[in-house]
Amino acid sequence: MDAIDAATTLARACDGDDEAFRRLVETHSRALFRLAYRLTGNEQDAEDVVQDALIRAYRRLGSFESRAAFATWLYRIAANCAVDHLRSRQGRDARHEVLPEAADAPESPLPGPDRLAASAEIDRHVRAALADMSPLERTAFTLRHFEGRSINEICRTLGVGSSAAKHSVFRAVRKLRAALAPLASKEGSTC
Amino acid sequence: MLSHRVNHHYGEDELVLYYYGEGRHRTRVARHLEQCDACRAAYASLAAALGLVSASAGEIPQRGDQYGLEVWQRIRHRLPERERVWWPNVFASFEGRLAALAGVAALAAVAALVVGAFFLGRAWPDTSTPVDGSAPPPPVARVIDPPEVAPALASAVADHLERSERLLTDVMNASSQRDLAAERSWAADLVSEGRLYRREVEATGDEALASVLDDLERNLLEVVHSPSPISAAALADIRNRIDAAALLFKVRVLGDELREQQRAADPYVRQTSTPKAG
Repeated sequence: MDAIDAATTLARACDGDDEAFRRLVETHSRALFRLAYRLTGNEQDAEDVVQDALIRAYRRLGSFESRAAFATWLYRIAANCAVDHLRSRQGRDARHEVLPEAADAPESPLPGPDRLAASAEIDRHVRAALADMSPLERTAFTLRHFEGRSINEICRTLGVGSSAAKHSVFRAVRKLRAALAPLASKEGSTC
Repeated sequence: MLSHRVNHHYGEDELVLYYYGEGRHRTRVARHLEQCDACRAAYASLAAALGLVSASAGEIPQRGDQYGLEVWQRIRHRLPERERVWWPNVFASFEGRLAALAGVAALAAVAALVVGAFFLGRAWPDTSTPVDGSAPPPPVARVIDPPEVAPALASAVADHLERSERLLTDVMNASSQRDLAAERSWAADLVSEGRLYRREVEATGDEALASVLDDLERNLLEVVHSPSPISAAALADIRNRIDAAALLFKVRVLGDELREQQRAADPYVRQTSTPKAG
């Protein structure tokens, strides 16, 4: 879809044309899924976030201001849907991603050539730390670290103050470092 | 130089901001890191940990080209009523307000003209009756034609429906022991071409045909994304959906109608249409 076509489609969707909204869904779903997966770390949850975000966007299309970029607006809705989703998931099963063996990993030194196993272990620790974060910490950290959004953009996206956004990122980093500390000491012992 | 290093060490939070290129004192932090071993070590440790995080999170499950369409099919029946904005956004800016006022003024002028013309017409003497006293000619009957699909499109859609009918028949008659690999790939092709036809048909305003093409597309997508190997339960589920939508019947009837239209328009079509299998 070129820029003119995209603007026309968006204008038609805002005027209530469902076929135009369908084209927007087809254009933006994959990017939304990537963001949702990063935020939730789980395929099924990411699918739910994509659908919830698009339905929420549809409901609010009438209030979309054409001065803003549609992708950014949609992105903001998806990030907030992910926060809501993480909150409800936390209520259900706060630590379902923490694998028990991560904590009880054998103390053997990391074998040099076995990079895959090492990478899987790092991945387990990172996932465990992400699962241990609050929804706001996880979302703010993901937006900052993986999506390259500035603190100011995170404030606007999540509707929080600068201090709250910064401290969410700080706490997230502390949790990650604590989770990765055993690996760092292991690597240090092999050097 | 030494006093600066000793006076102020940077904490983890300040180093985190520096790592992400944020914070107001980046130059000062950079200079300090060059001079202070303790802070340099702390920063190196932080950067190493965050580097591990980046390296660990590279794999995001991929979604194919049809993903957007699949999402649409999942949400389309869940779309709610839109929040209506009483005062449209165009009013938000000053230019918008001016444009809106101009629009309102133009509407008022048109309304005044219409009302004026109405009263003028009532006051004006009726001269429509012919002088010779004969009756005026009857009004020309206006027939609103149903939306018409262009012959080339009708022919292409009829072929598409015929191919889809064959595929659906295969699926309905497939043994539960057999995998649907061939049907899956065939259905993917039909989804791609059907999507184009549906859009063309929607543009003509033929809602009935567009609706059947839409149902067809959704059911073909079920075949495309059926598990491999397919279980008896999954196959039964697909068949139930096809049955519930009376899809085979609709596809057959509409295909026949389109062929009939073609024959009526061009008798040679009878000789050139694709022969049906079986």
